[in-house]
Amino acid sequence: MSRTAARLTRILSMIPYVIANPGVTVDEVCDRFGYTRNQLLSDLDLVFVCGLPGYGPGELMVAYVEDDEVVVDMAEYFSRPLRLNPAEGLGLLAAGMALVSAGQAPPALERAVTKLSAILLPDTQDALTVELGAAPQIVDLLRRAARDGSVVDLVYTSLAADATTVRSVEPWTVFSSMGNWYLGGYCRRAEDERVFRVDRIRSASVSDATFEPPQSPPAPEVRYTPSPDDVQADIRLGPNARWVADYYPVEVLDENGLIRFSASDASVIARLLLRLGSDADVVAGTEVSSVLAAMRSAIMARYN
Amino acid sequence: MKNVIERIMNLLAFLLTAGRPVTAEEIRDTVAGYDRDNDEAFHRMFERDKDLLRNMGIPLELVYTDAWEVEQGYLVDPTQYELPDIELTDEERAALWLASQVVRLGGEPTGHGALLKLGGAPLSGAGEPLAANLGLAADALETIFLAISERRALTFTYRDRDRHVHPYGLRHQRGHWYVVGQQQPGGEVRAYRVDRGSGFRAGDAGEVFQRPADFSIRDALPSAPWESGSEDIKAVVRFDAPVAWWAQRQLSAGAVIEEEPDGSLVAELSVANPDALIGWLLTFAHQAELLAPPELRQRLIDTVRTVPE
Repeated sequence: MSRTAARLTRILSMIPYVIANPGVTVDEVCDRFGYTRNQLLSDLDLVFVCGLPGYGPGELMVAYVEDDEVVVDMAEYFSRPLRLNPAEGLGLLAAGMALVSAGQAPPALERAVTKLSAILLPDTQDALTVELGAAPQIVDLLRRAARDGSVVDLVYTSLAADATTVRSVEPWTVFSSMGNWYLGGYCRRAEDERVFRVDRIRSASVSDATFEPPQSPPAPEVRYTPSPDDVQADIRLGPNARWVADYYPVEVLDENGLIRFSASDASVIARLLLRLGSDADVVAGTEVSSVLAAMRSAIMARYN
Repeated sequence: MKNVIERIMNLLAFLLTAGRPVTAEEIRDTVAGYDRDNDEAFHRMFERDKDLLRNMGIPLELVYTDAWEVEQGYLVDPTQYELPDIELTDEERAALWLASQVVRLGGEPTGHGALLKLGGAPLSGAGEPLAANLGLAADALETIFLAISERRALTFTYRDRDRHVHPYGLRHQRGHWYVVGQQQPGGEVRAYRVDRGSGFRAGDAGEVFQRPADFSIRDALPSAPWESGSEDIKAVVRFDAPVAWWAQRQLSAGAVIEEEPDGSLVAELSVANPDALIGWLLTFAHQAELLAPPELRQRLIDTVRTVPE
C-alpha cells in the first residue's frame, strides 16, 4: 500500500473510533493507532479542513484536541470504519488459521478467526483453509528457549547423511515453511548459522547457558537452491504418480509426467521411487538407479 | 501528500453523501482540490485518486446516472463501504496482529492497515521467535480470494491452457496453495496448484454460481498416498532399532507399540488406506517389515517387485 493510502487508512480508522468513544485521550488514540502525538495532531489538522461541498464552517469536519481529549465532529459520513480489502482479509485470516492449525494459537486468536470468517466468508464454510500441520511438541520448548535466550542441546539426525550428532544451539526462530517445521539458529558445534528440521530433532533440552540473540536474525527460510553436489534423476511418472509433481519441488519437463528431481542424496529419491512401484520409471540418473536397485534387493532379501 | 489526502477525503465525503451516481464533471466542479481549468490534469489526477480508493478497499462503482443509460457516474454505497460489525475485543485484535506479523504470505505484510480498520489495538509482541511462511506472491491469492468470497468466475492459464473456473475454495496444505473449483462450462471439480497457474483474473460480476452444499475442499484435493481411506485393517509392523525413534514419532496415538530387547519396535496399527501404509513403510527401505496380515505383506512385496529395474 502506498504511503498516501496508508495514511488515509489510518485517518479513516481513527475518526470512527474517536466518534464512538467520546472523551478518549490523545495517549489512548496514539497507543491504539500507532501515532506519535505530533502525527495525530497533524492528521487532525488535516481533517479540520476537509468536508462537504461549500466547504464553509457548516460543511467542514471539526477535529481538535481540548484538555488532552480528542474531538471529532460533523463527520457522520466517516463514522463507520472501512471494510477490509481482499488482501487484508486474506492476510489476517490465513495468518490466524495457520497458527490455529499448528496448535500455536491462544484462545483469543481462535475466537478472532471465527468472527472474521463469519464476516468475510459468510455462508461459505471451508472456502479458505490453511493447514500447516500440527507443530511437534518440541516446537513449544524451542520457542520458549528462543524467547528466553537459552541455549538448547539437541540430538539431531541429518536427513541426508543419516548421521546422529549432539549439538548445542542458540535458537533464534522456530518456523514453518513448505509444510515442515524448522529451527534456525547458531550451532556452537558447527560454529555457524544452521537450519534444523524439527522432526529430525530426536531430543532437545534447555541448558543453563544463555546467549544474546542477534539484533536482526536472518529471515527464517529454507532455500531450495540446487547445489552443484545435488544428485539428479529424470523420472517418468505414470498417471497414479502425478501427485509427486505437485508435492515435491521438482522441475516439470513435459506434459506427460516427465520430471527432474534433485536432492542432496540419492537415497531421498530412491525411497520415493520404491513407494511408486510401477508408476514411475527412472529415465536418466545412474546414481539413483543403483541406490534404488540396492534398496530393492535389500528389501526382497528381508521378505524372502 | 497533504493536498492529495485533503482532496481524496473531500471526494470520499462527497461520494458517500451524494446518494446518487455523480459524473466526473460534477466532481470536478464541486469537490475542492481539483483543477477546473485543465482537462488533462484533472483526468490524470482523478484516475490516480480512483485507483487509490479502490486499493484501499473502497467500493467505487461506475453506473448509469439514469434509466436511459446515457451518462455514467460514480457511486460509493455506504453500506458497502462500511466494515460489518465484528465486535472484536482488544485481546483478539492483538492476537490477530501478532499472527499477521508471524505468518508471512509473500509480499509486504498487510496486517497493520487491516488492524487499524478493525479498530486498532495497543500493540506489542515484537520479537516473538515464531514464524511461518505460506509462500507465494500474494497477488494471485488475493484475486482468488476475492472471486471465492464474492462468487465470481475465475480465469487463468494452467499447464499452457486457458481455464475458466467457478472457484469453490482455497487451501494451503503441505506447503502449497490450491484452488478448487468447477471447470466451465459444467466440467469436473478439480484442484489447481496456484503457483503452477498464471494470469489469474476475477470476473466482474458477483454471485454467478452456487457452491454445492456438500462441497468439502479436503475431499477435492489430489489424493496423496497418506490420506485417509475407508478400510479397517489391523496390521503389524516391525521397525529396526536405528529407525525406531523416527517411526515412533510418526505413528499416531492409536497405535499399540511394544519395544523389543534389541531396541526395535513392533507396532499394531489400524489401517484405513493400505497403499498409504505400504508407501510409508517403504520410506524405511529394508529397516521396516510388514509382518501381518499376509495379504498386505504380499502387496508390499508386489509393489517392490514392480519397481522398474
